[in-house]
Amino acid sequence: MLSFQSSKNVLSLTEDLLVRIYELLAAESDRKSFRLVCREFRRIDTLTRRHLRVIRIEFLPILLRKYPRLQSLDLSACPRIDDGVVSLLLTRVGPGSNSPILGHWAWGLKSLVLSRATGLRFSGLEMLARACPCLESVDVSYCCGFGDREAAALSSAVGLRELNMDKCLQLTDVGLAKIAVGCSKLEKLSLKWCMEMTDLGIDLLCKKCVDLKYLDVSYLKVTNESLHSIASLLKLEVLGLMACPLIDDVGLQFIERGCPSLKVIDVSRCEGVSSSGLIFVVRGHRNLLELNAGYCLSQELSTALLHQMKNLNHLEVIRIDGARISETSFQVISANCKSLVEIGLSKCLGVTNMGIMRLVSACINLRVLNLTCCHSITDAAISAIAYSCRSLVCLKVESCNMITEKGLCQLGSFCLLLEEIDLTDCCGVNDKGLEYLSRCSELSCLKLGLCTNISNKGLSYIGFNCLKIHELDLYRCTGIGDDGLEALSNGCKKLRKLNLSYCNEVSDRGLGYIGRLEELSDLEMRALHKITGVGLEAVAVGCKRLADLDMKHCEKVGDSGFWALAYYSKNLRQINLSYCGISDMALCMVMGNLSRLQEAKLVHLSNCTVEGVELALRACCVRIKKVKLFAPLRFMLSSEILEILHARGCIIRWD
Amino acid sequence: MDLKERVCGELQKEVPKGASFTKFNTQHQQKWEDPSSTSDYSTRIEPPFQAFNQTSQTQSLLLCNNQIKVPMQDGSVNDLLQASKIQDWDPSAMLNNLSFLGQKIHQLQDLVYLIIGRKGQVLGRPDELLVQQQQLVTADLTSIIVQLISTAGSLLPSVKQTLSAATTSLGQCGEFGGVVFPSSAQGLNDGVQPQNAGGSKVSEPPNSVDITSNNGNEQSNHIIEEHELKDEEDAEEGENLLPGTYEILQLEKEEILAPHTHFCTICGKGFKRDANLRMHMRGHGDEYKTPGALAKPTKESSSEPTIIKRYSCPYAGCKRNKDHKKFQPLKTILCVKNHYKRTHCDKSYICSRCNTKKFSVIADLKTHEKHCGKDKWLCSCGTTFSRKDKLFGHITLFQGHTPAIPSDEIKAAPAGTSDGATNKVGSVNFNLSYVSSESEVQSSSMDIKGGIDDAVGYFSPLSFDTCNFGGFHEFPRPPFDDSESSFAFLLSRSCNYSQKSGEE
Repeated sequence: MLSFQSSKNVLSLTEDLLVRIYELLAAESDRKSFRLVCREFRRIDTLTRRHLRVIRIEFLPILLRKYPRLQSLDLSACPRIDDGVVSLLLTRVGPGSNSPILGHWAWGLKSLVLSRATGLRFSGLEMLARACPCLESVDVSYCCGFGDREAAALSSAVGLRELNMDKCLQLTDVGLAKIAVGCSKLEKLSLKWCMEMTDLGIDLLCKKCVDLKYLDVSYLKVTNESLHSIASLLKLEVLGLMACPLIDDVGLQFIERGCPSLKVIDVSRCEGVSSSGLIFVVRGHRNLLELNAGYCLSQELSTALLHQMKNLNHLEVIRIDGARISETSFQVISANCKSLVEIGLSKCLGVTNMGIMRLVSACINLRVLNLTCCHSITDAAISAIAYSCRSLVCLKVESCNMITEKGLCQLGSFCLLLEEIDLTDCCGVNDKGLEYLSRCSELSCLKLGLCTNISNKGLSYIGFNCLKIHELDLYRCTGIGDDGLEALSNGCKKLRKLNLSYCNEVSDRGLGYIGRLEELSDLEMRALHKITGVGLEAVAVGCKRLADLDMKHCEKVGDSGFWALAYYSKNLRQINLSYCGISDMALCMVMGNLSRLQEAKLVHLSNCTVEGVELALRACCVRIKKVKLFAPLRFMLSSEILEILHARGCIIRWD
Repeated sequence: MDLKERVCGELQKEVPKGASFTKFNTQHQQKWEDPSSTSDYSTRIEPPFQAFNQTSQTQSLLLCNNQIKVPMQDGSVNDLLQASKIQDWDPSAMLNNLSFLGQKIHQLQDLVYLIIGRKGQVLGRPDELLVQQQQLVTADLTSIIVQLISTAGSLLPSVKQTLSAATTSLGQCGEFGGVVFPSSAQGLNDGVQPQNAGGSKVSEPPNSVDITSNNGNEQSNHIIEEHELKDEEDAEEGENLLPGTYEILQLEKEEILAPHTHFCTICGKGFKRDANLRMHMRGHGDEYKTPGALAKPTKESSSEPTIIKRYSCPYAGCKRNKDHKKFQPLKTILCVKNHYKRTHCDKSYICSRCNTKKFSVIADLKTHEKHCGKDKWLCSCGTTFSRKDKLFGHITLFQGHTPAIPSDEIKAAPAGTSDGATNKVGSVNFNLSYVSSESEVQSSSMDIKGGIDDAVGYFSPLSFDTCNFGGFHEFPRPPFDDSESSFAFLLSRSCNYSQKSGEE
């Protein structure tokens, strides 16, 4: 970042140059640093900023006033937004302005993410839809309350092109019809888990929204009738049919004849689909880019299908998880589908070194390879992959036990672009292997769960070289201790997600190092028996962005730690305190003081009384969305608090 | 008139019967004797009072009559009527009816005496009390007159008029009054009219009450009626009779709208259909119980070539009117009736469920009510469908039409719990009324304002306690040393907190 000495020179830069510089800053943290430099830079940030993701809703009005040129607003992190908030935001521009200009900020807004905003109902959505004339993209996924009325409200946003309604459980055909008629320009629509949806709704959608390019009807109980309707969509490019139990080969026959623009199809986990259904799809669409047929090919890939696949010269992605596959199949695929970029062979039977070697010999552009649970592959296969696919970005070899440091050595030598590797449960991985792997300096996601042979030394290589790592899984890496964490905290400053569960050696000192990771948002540290309140305090003080904390079975942590948590971890959204020695008082503090807390697991709190839990629930009942409680408490807690929680839409899980 | 005079004579013999009710006197006398005077009325009222006062001993009688009228009205009158229906038409039944009439007339007489007599007594009483009593008496009068009419109507051997039985008897009622109490009716009018509007009540109520009594008679008929009422107009739609090959009949408007077309030749009761009349006739004697009498009159016409009858609507300019260029005849009288009511009459029957749909034929209403609420598939254009696929087909066909969402949910939503998760899909009751999208918008925006104003409502989805604008009230940090007091503190604060933030 810019130092103070050079600030004079920097200030002499013209505004447009500063804007250009600003636009080159990709990471949010860098932009934050940028706008903290000086007023001028802050102004640049204000003027240029297009996207805003709000984390604390109380700042929303100020932020909206500050950034007038917003195009994209992400409110998914503040699920407590409701109709009242929206009406306030849209009417009260600022305390100073006399003439209430209706939601000035909303005029230019194009994208709105309202995922999990369960408090937002039709009146709020209606206001938003009317206030944002340029709205093109809305995400209302996981809004459990989103039903037909809300859909009707949203349908007044006539310019809508993209709409995500995943898991809007109350949405029915009527709501979809509202959307289909109102937003006829829709190009992208996702309806995953909208369980009330039927063929009628899909049929109407296909007739009204003829511009659809992307349609996801995964997990719906729609039948072949829907496929018949969908086949009439001339512009459809992406079709998601994942786990549609009522769809079978007959339906895919419609797809063969229709959807001339189809590029991507996902029929994974469709029980009714077999090889012959896929043959229809492949035969009709020679230009298919992506075929996802995981877990629907229980038998071996039929020769007829392979024969058809020869024609898929443009195929880039193929996922046939769970299928039985032979070496000849690999031969056919590699010989014909030369542009393959991603292959998913997770849990496939019959994947051998020889097969992989044949595959990668031709598919040299492979970037993503998933070999999860292909137990029979060894270093030979990995070496072949590393040697052929130099641009490999993601490799998943979970529980491939025969991989050793030799394979990792090849990876570290050739696949320097590797960003993600999953080595979970690969016992062959050791410190030496990590040393080789650490040469992949682009590595951002490293999963080493259950690799019991690695120690602090191996981790220190990672900490020293892989500075871009943001996710690290050390689940049950019992060889890891405080020193490893020290190395990690020195290097991997970008770490956002860390799993330290069952790393028994980690003590308060280790957590002290963790506290240096300012970006850390997810921390799982189950059953760390050595840590106490001191360690937790260090984490709470240091990791300001901490949003998800799982500390089940950390029995030695005392109240001082929890108090610190209550005071400092203002961004905490989920917490698991089960089997912790937290007292009534501390529990109350944690639950009451953490203003963003949405989900809490509070099972077997041995030091807590019923009254304590009751009080804690009372303290957080206005915002908590999900809580897990010890089953007998169901009859011991007052019915009043249970009713309040229920009325606030909180889901209680009894354990 | 002969008959009536006889009735009148017999009635007078029956008068003493009323004496058995004297025991009720005391109460009433107390009530009415309550003395306070207004000089206003004294001059006008006194003369008739004195005149009628001369007929002694009546006062006690009429008072008691006043009291018994309540049970008589509902129970015994009907019983008597019932009896008259079931029994054969024989002199004894006739006598029964007559004696009942006599009793009633006597009551009436006494009531009029009472009115006049009381006016004399209560000189100088406050207006309101007097008026109230006046109304009481006139109401009694009304009910008695109604009973008289209905009983007298059943005495008539036959009524061969196109007018309904009700109107006939009503017309006769006037005659009755004229014959029996020429002077008292006069006195009644004299006494009541100058004082207040109550006077008009004497003449009016018989009409209204009569209608209700009619309804009572008809109730049994309705049930059969409705099923057949529907087949009407559509049935003959495809028929293509050449003009001149059939006879055109045209009923007059009054005829069409008359509630009854079949009348009992014995008691004069009216029926809508012949079958009901035949069933009714069984009550008049064994000769009507024979299979021959009960059977449908055989259509001998089937064997003989008869002229086909078709009907014309009396409404000029109607396509069903014989003068219309493209005249399309109606097939049956029923068709005429339904056509006339549907096309040329007000739609006076409103569906009690949706309060929207209006019908002029009651059977149409009944049919609608059977399905009202079941037609839950509603389009924005107002068309309802019983099936979802029909609605969706309709929407596919018409640009801009969307399914309408029943309004119930609107009301349910604000009242319901905060986060919709509890708003189960299945629980929505489609008791619908049409709601245009505009009104939805309005109501929704109103809701919001309401929510802001009284956001203290803890569970209101619009309450602001969840958002904590303007700085989050941090949870208080209580002193940790004294657990009990701090607990109490916490609890109260947590309550305050939610309310406070709600107000923002």
